[in-house]
Amino acid sequence: MRRGTRRAGTPESSAFPTRPYDLIKEVTIALVLVAALTAGLAALFSSPDEPPVTLGSWSRADSADFTATAVSELGGTSTTAQYGPPYNHTPGAGQKIGPVGLQRFAGVRIPIDTANDFVIQPLRQAPEPAPVTAALTTWNTAPANQQQAWTSAYADALGKAPNGDLAQVPPGDYGPVPVLTARLLELAQSGALDGELLTEGTQFYQTDYTRPLLFLGDGTYFAGLAQDQHLAGDQWGMMNETGNYPGQAWLWLYTFWYQIEPFKSSHNADALVWALMALLSLVLALVPFLPGIRSIPRWTRVHRLIWRDYYRTQQPPR
Amino acid sequence: MTGSGYQFTRTLAAPIDLNGTGHYVHWGVVQISVANLVVIALMVLVFVLALLLPFPRGRKRG
Repeated sequence: MRRGTRRAGTPESSAFPTRPYDLIKEVTIALVLVAALTAGLAALFSSPDEPPVTLGSWSRADSADFTATAVSELGGTSTTAQYGPPYNHTPGAGQKIGPVGLQRFAGVRIPIDTANDFVIQPLRQAPEPAPVTAALTTWNTAPANQQQAWTSAYADALGKAPNGDLAQVPPGDYGPVPVLTARLLELAQSGALDGELLTEGTQFYQTDYTRPLLFLGDGTYFAGLAQDQHLAGDQWGMMNETGNYPGQAWLWLYTFWYQIEPFKSSHNADALVWALMALLSLVLALVPFLPGIRSIPRWTRVHRLIWRDYYRTQQPPR
Repeated sequence: MTGSGYQFTRTLAAPIDLNGTGHYVHWGVVQISVANLVVIALMVLVFVLALLLPFPRGRKRG
């Protein structure tokens, strides 16, 4: 293509030497090589084989953490209960950039009432022993401040019990909370709670794991497993994989920002890092238009290394 | 697991098992798995080879 005046000394494209090039052959060779490499590496190393973490396995492995989390769901003090959109309308909650509340923009798309969805409704769906029916009636007829007082007192007592041992919680005014959470623990340990939370969605096919995952994430057990596997946010976890498998190394820049201030200690880190990466991506897309940055290839002269045969035959510039 | 099932699983198992405790390198604020380091080193190696290896010489036309 001819555009304006051609730079002096640059020959026409038709003047360059040519040679035959079989693109189909190259693509076929590349495809076969990469397929063979993929199959070979898969046979040699296989893939990560971690057992699934479920509400059942959690409640059996750490019943104290499960019960403490259930109490926080019932009392509305868990992370999910106070998360804000898309799960609930918690005043002041949600990530924002300056005055722009990004989470609020999206709105409450997956409404979750942790007390009802994670505790009361599963207890109602399962066969109810008489004490549980009575406890549910007591809970449902109590005013909100009384419910808060019960869950708060029981959470404190659990926190003070040696190793969170339910049997060593001293007697107190906990209302129906111990009966409700003990029954929920039974359901979870039997595996029933996983299925019940899965079927709370409205879809015909039960593939929406949002509720069990949120419940699981509110405890400390799951976070502890992630910490052990170097998968936590403050461990560059975004680019790691379980065991000794390589992870998503290309996410290094995204996860890097979470390791340094001011992002490290910011409650808005997700929104801030997202905005920063969007800005950097824009800069990358606009490289040809940014003075200085667009000259980096000319300074580094990597192209002269690639096309060294051509440049070797050229006259050095005067 | 039954004896034959165990044998079958053993036959299908990968020769190199990368499950288990991961190995990590800590350097100031940087934490990186040895596996990721190996992959990055291989990528850099392939890039350098792509720069330095000569183009294959095709047959000259006519």
